[in-house]
Amino acid sequence: MDSKLKLRIEGVVVVGLGLLTLFVLIPIGIDSPGDVDVLALAPEFWPLIVASLFTISGIIMTIKPFEEKPDDDEEEAEEPAPWPERLPRLAIILGVLFAFYFVAPYLGFVIPGIVLIAGLAWFASERRVGMMVLISIIPPVLLYVFFVIIANIPIPLGIFEFIHG
Amino acid sequence: MVENILEAFSLFLTVQNVVIVFVGVLIGAIIGAIPGMTTPMGVALVLPFTFTMPPVTGILLLLGVYKGGLYGGSITAILIKAPGTPAASCTVLDGYPLTQKGDARKALDMALYASCFADFVSNLSLILLAGLLAGLALKFGPPEFFTLILFSLTIIAGVSGDNLMKGIVSASLGLMFAVIGLDIVYGTNRFIFDNWNLLSGLSFIPVLIGLFALPEIIHFYTQRGSAQLKTSPMTGIGATFGEFKKCFKSIARGSAIGVVLGAIPGIGGAPAAFLSYSEARRTSKNPDNFGKGELEGVAAAEAGNNGVAGATMIPLLALGVPGDVITAVILGAFMIHGLRPGPLLFVENLPLIYALFIGIILSSAYLFVVGKFSIRAISRISNVPNRILYPIVLVCCLFGSYAINNSLFDVLVMVLMGCVGYLMMIFKFPAPPFLIAFILGPLLEDNFRQSMILSEGSLAILFRSPICWIFWALAILSIFFLIKSRKKNIPLAG
Repeated sequence: MDSKLKLRIEGVVVVGLGLLTLFVLIPIGIDSPGDVDVLALAPEFWPLIVASLFTISGIIMTIKPFEEKPDDDEEEAEEPAPWPERLPRLAIILGVLFAFYFVAPYLGFVIPGIVLIAGLAWFASERRVGMMVLISIIPPVLLYVFFVIIANIPIPLGIFEFIHG
Repeated sequence: MVENILEAFSLFLTVQNVVIVFVGVLIGAIIGAIPGMTTPMGVALVLPFTFTMPPVTGILLLLGVYKGGLYGGSITAILIKAPGTPAASCTVLDGYPLTQKGDARKALDMALYASCFADFVSNLSLILLAGLLAGLALKFGPPEFFTLILFSLTIIAGVSGDNLMKGIVSASLGLMFAVIGLDIVYGTNRFIFDNWNLLSGLSFIPVLIGLFALPEIIHFYTQRGSAQLKTSPMTGIGATFGEFKKCFKSIARGSAIGVVLGAIPGIGGAPAAFLSYSEARRTSKNPDNFGKGELEGVAAAEAGNNGVAGATMIPLLALGVPGDVITAVILGAFMIHGLRPGPLLFVENLPLIYALFIGIILSSAYLFVVGKFSIRAISRISNVPNRILYPIVLVCCLFGSYAINNSLFDVLVMVLMGCVGYLMMIFKFPAPPFLIAFILGPLLEDNFRQSMILSEGSLAILFRSPICWIFWALAILSIFFLIKSRKKNIPLAG
């Protein structure tokens, strides 16, 4: 796609998000007291300024897109994988992250941490079983010991809470 | 005077004191290097151990942790793009690109040299200029703070890459995320949407980790290359004396910025680091290299960040006013030992003050020793292949995000910010302006609104003093020169 057209489309999206913030998110997301004497002290004053700045920047991007110089590092970097190939991988990594968040209250941090390290190392083509066992068990256990015993921060263990004794 | 100094030496010169400063710096460096452990947490953790110690020993332990923590935050910022402290987030901008280029050792060395130098300058300022700087600090009210932060924000133009508009969009997004939470004036909700976890706003560390470390990791796993192993070769060459000399101007300037901002209660290390970085970029012969792995950028950020260390003690010791959370904890330690910082302390307990000064100077030397050893050990991380390093970093980030507030919600914030950061990376919206605005935004808004309360809505208060005028002039000049330099470099398309 033409880079200027791409920038214009991005500008339109920014304007859309800005207008959404100005006319939907701010009115419903900010509770304003009725008796504000000084306009600049109103809770929505600052967000309105910021959202306006956001929208105006989007308008400028749309009307007058700035040419982007290709980055020197980018030229040297590997060609990124095409999107059809990238999307399933993206879904997997995001799925893993959200899965960790959802299972942590039940299984704690250590077991999902071990599974996450082993799984992602395998996903990135690490095939040495000994290495995978080592790197997946030691860091979560060490982190747990550090936070719980030294820093006194109760990292959840979920159903394994009985280990605390 | 001489009597007091001799008494101070007799107070300080015990094996216990000499060792405890070292232990403090070491603990601080370790804590600062762990994402999720902040320096205030480290100081608070150590506080109970000081109860049974003599006053000088206990306070020096806390100061050691403070100084070590300020430096330690830069280690993970440089190596894995996960700043251990908000103040170290500026170091990420050039530190991590240097690691990617295989120059991690160089970046870590320069961060250490700049930190030690700035820390030493800050300590000297504390000893020699406490009275003068405390007087200047008292002249800073909300309007002066507002103009100072506004000036610091002009750096956004410098770190926006080729497209200034994208930088401004990114900064606006950062400012918008920073307003989430309870309104400080009216106590009403802003963008909370009945989620009470958002009442106190978004925590810094999960946002920083999500925005910087996570997109890199997500990108790695979405590439075919991830299957073919990518290693960052760790070069054994550290920063040379020549490179230190080259960066010295920025280090000295950053130290001075850190000292002045550190002496002002409520400012902290992050604005000092950003302002120092901005000035280094503005005066550099290679401003375009900043953000892409410029050693001077690391030096300037770390000098600004560490320059505040001794100076934050100025309002505490001279006026009895704690400038931040850490000095508030240290104030608590003074009070536990029956001491009340302030002008009277200099009259009643001068030998104790001098003994603390001796310990503080020693801590700069210890910082260098601890840093040198830790760099050798820790920088080996760069040799670990990404297929092994990234899952471990990810688990560190997850544990760290939780540990900040013992909240799973912060883990969710980190993951969601990772998605935002990844989208910004894909569409080439620069992340540094978001970060700067997110950190400085609340300070800017709070001081603006406090000014409005003081003046009952009159904007004239923002021009009330010479300090305000100086910062307005600097902000305008800075924007003018940044735009002028951009026009020279970037052609406009119609």
